[in-house]
Amino acid sequence: MLRVESVVKSFGGFRAVDGAKLHVEGGEIVAVIGPNGAGKTTLFHLLTGHLSPDSGRILFKGKEIGGLSPHVICRRGITRSFQVVNIFSRLSVFENVQIAILSRERKSFRIFSPVAGMAEEEVHRILRSVGLFDQRDVESDLLSHGDKKVLEIAIALGGNPVLLILDEPTAGMAPGETERCIRLIRRLSEESGVTILFCEHDIGLVFEIANRIMVMVRGATVVQGSGEEVRRNSEVRSAYLGVSGEC
Amino acid sequence: MRRPSAPLLLLLLLAALLALPQVLPRFHTYVAAIVLLTALLATSLNLAIGYTGLYQFGHAVFYGVGAYGTALTLTRSGMPAPVAFMAGPLAAAALSLVMGMICIRLSKLYFGMLQISLGSLVWAVVYRWYSFTGGDDGIHGIPLPDAISSPEASYYFTLIVTALCVFTMYRIVRSPFGKVIQGIRDNPVRAASIGVDVRLHQLASLVIAGFFGGVAGSLFVVVENSVFPDMMFWTFSLEVLIMCLLGGMYTFFGPFVGASMIVLLRVFASVHTRYWGLILGTILTLVIIFLPDGVLGVFVRRSPPKEDRGA
Amino acid sequence: MMDFASNLFSPGTLSQILVGLSRTTILFIVSSGMSLILGVLRIPNVAHGSLYMIGAFAAWSVIRFLGGGLFTFLGAMIVAPLIVAAVGFVLERGFFSYLYEREHLMLLLLTFAFMLILGDLVKIVWGPEYRSVTVPAFFQGSAEIFGLPLPWYNLFLLLVGPCIAVFLWLVINRTNLGKIARAAAVDGEMVGAVGINVEWVFAFTFVLGSFLAGLGGALIAPMVNISLGMDHSLIMETFLIVIIGGLGNMWGALLGSLIFGLTQSLGILVWPQFGVAFPYLAVVAVLVVRPRGLLRSTW
Repeated sequence: MLRVESVVKSFGGFRAVDGAKLHVEGGEIVAVIGPNGAGKTTLFHLLTGHLSPDSGRILFKGKEIGGLSPHVICRRGITRSFQVVNIFSRLSVFENVQIAILSRERKSFRIFSPVAGMAEEEVHRILRSVGLFDQRDVESDLLSHGDKKVLEIAIALGGNPVLLILDEPTAGMAPGETERCIRLIRRLSEESGVTILFCEHDIGLVFEIANRIMVMVRGATVVQGSGEEVRRNSEVRSAYLGVSGEC
Repeated sequence: MRRPSAPLLLLLLLAALLALPQVLPRFHTYVAAIVLLTALLATSLNLAIGYTGLYQFGHAVFYGVGAYGTALTLTRSGMPAPVAFMAGPLAAAALSLVMGMICIRLSKLYFGMLQISLGSLVWAVVYRWYSFTGGDDGIHGIPLPDAISSPEASYYFTLIVTALCVFTMYRIVRSPFGKVIQGIRDNPVRAASIGVDVRLHQLASLVIAGFFGGVAGSLFVVVENSVFPDMMFWTFSLEVLIMCLLGGMYTFFGPFVGASMIVLLRVFASVHTRYWGLILGTILTLVIIFLPDGVLGVFVRRSPPKEDRGA
Repeated sequence: MMDFASNLFSPGTLSQILVGLSRTTILFIVSSGMSLILGVLRIPNVAHGSLYMIGAFAAWSVIRFLGGGLFTFLGAMIVAPLIVAAVGFVLERGFFSYLYEREHLMLLLLTFAFMLILGDLVKIVWGPEYRSVTVPAFFQGSAEIFGLPLPWYNLFLLLVGPCIAVFLWLVINRTNLGKIARAAAVDGEMVGAVGINVEWVFAFTFVLGSFLAGLGGALIAPMVNISLGMDHSLIMETFLIVIIGGLGNMWGALLGSLIFGLTQSLGILVWPQFGVAFPYLAVVAVLVVRPRGLLRSTW
């Protein structure tokens, strides 16, 4: 479904992404891991149109999407959540998800119908599935950090995506919240079949739910495979553990 | 804090406004008309700044163009009055579209400054083009249809038009479009990620704001029978901004309240002192320091999001 | 057409350009002050024009108080900016510094509030009538440049401009204070973290910027009617200059001032009726092509 081929992105003289490769099949949960500064978030920005690749190809369902703008890529079926909390702070939880749905349904230019009850059923369904239903009328800026991260995911779900990209979904969460988030991701994949691509620092979490793992070091893909393959890969070990050679 | 039923309040207000000319002397009716059209202007500005988050620093130019458009059509073209009253706002909307397309690629402060720059360009042309626009004299004694030429009639006309426009803007704000532009205000990056063409929506918002600003300008022609270049000077733009801030930028009726307060205060102050700048400046300072959410903002419990100070 | 061309390339044009350049000097001095404040403090100071106006009125008062003559005049050129610098100090310490944590829009509106307040304070102190300052005898008359008269005073301004530029460059790049200010522009928190009192750096920067505004006002006093609208007209030009030059960039202020001053002079020469609009056109052109200004901004 998603194929990234030898993508390069530089800033000034610095190669943030240096020939990265990735492929994701439909229905999978794929994780991208790597040390800090490996280029994971930059890669995600390239996938969702916030940055354009200098070279290489990004193919989604067979079509090139590299360099398209974010709202176009969203319409193709890819939505994302952000590493830093990125919500509509003055709107309520309900409204945050609602406008994602309205945008998807191409109703964003309607000016004469009242918006109050629109898409209510779907918003409630999404909020219930992420566990934010009780807080639906709260102004989103007032939520706890963990809840805001969950709202991030809910907004991305509002776009009814084919591919859901989550950028460090559990960053800054307390352990209990992290647990909740893991279960949510697993449930989303099982129940709705949405393909999930995420990146994380919490390696335990990654090995727990990811079907396949891609490891990035200094902008390049070191290996992509199952948990076992990654664990055994010597380059990965040296990158993470500083150990060279066999172990 | 629950307010008493809002529709009831509005109905009472409307009734009071309708009865006004019967009860008050002529001058007060005139002032009331000015209050109404200024409130319309402030509400239109707030569409751009409070609801879409654009730094609309040059809004007065749409007011001025709306006024001049109507005035020039009435005095020079021989077209019937209804055409003139559409010409002004449409000219303002067109200008808003053009300026928007030029400015929209910039963010925040740059957007505001470029807008002021373009607005100053328009002002300079109007100011200097004596033969066509009357230059710094402006245009006076503009002929109006008999039906709306008396002070009382012009007041009712202003009231009706203002009420219709405010109602329309209210509907717009409560529509999907209204919610989406608020999303753009809060987080343009996120909005793009959910499939919103941010630029297009911002442009639409600007055009609507410009249009209604132009309507306010046309109403000024009806009430005052004249126009002058300083209507579009940038200091007036900032005064209208102050009205929005004072009343509450994140509420719908805030600008209305703010405009009423400022216009009434100005009329009152001009009788007693010539230091209006001092008064307005002090009010603004107090509002910024103590009441950043504005007068109506006090009634709406909201914690302002912490913005970082980037351009 | 030929007439137009010969008109354009005549000595008249050259002297017009030179006069334009001396006006550019004033624009540069004031804009560099604003650029400094914008770059280090991130304040879009709408009251900057008011400070300029106070500088002009203060110069008038000093000259009137001390009587005419060259030394009085030069003294006023120093005392008036100092007065303005003091006003700036009060503004920054007393009001603006409390809002550094707020959004830009609020700070900008606060400075606008003070533009209104200061405008009326000037009216209260000096009254609403025009004032004028005559050039001291030393500067009266003109020199012969390219066969055409150029007033000595304009020549004086043309010399002062580069001196100020060099002085500023030295302060910013060669003094410790300047280096700290530049660091604070990039990362105020870090500077504070290494033990430097950032507050005083900010205050000093604002005071210096205000001094420059006052100096601009004092220098232009003999050339114009000193009146109450001076703040309005200047602040718009200053803002546009720093925007096209690149926010916070001194060289940008110079470049912007040159563009502004020259397009205005040439504009009036070429099309007297609408020539004043030429600088605005130039600004639009620049911003369309390079939205963040011509030179690198510190924002």
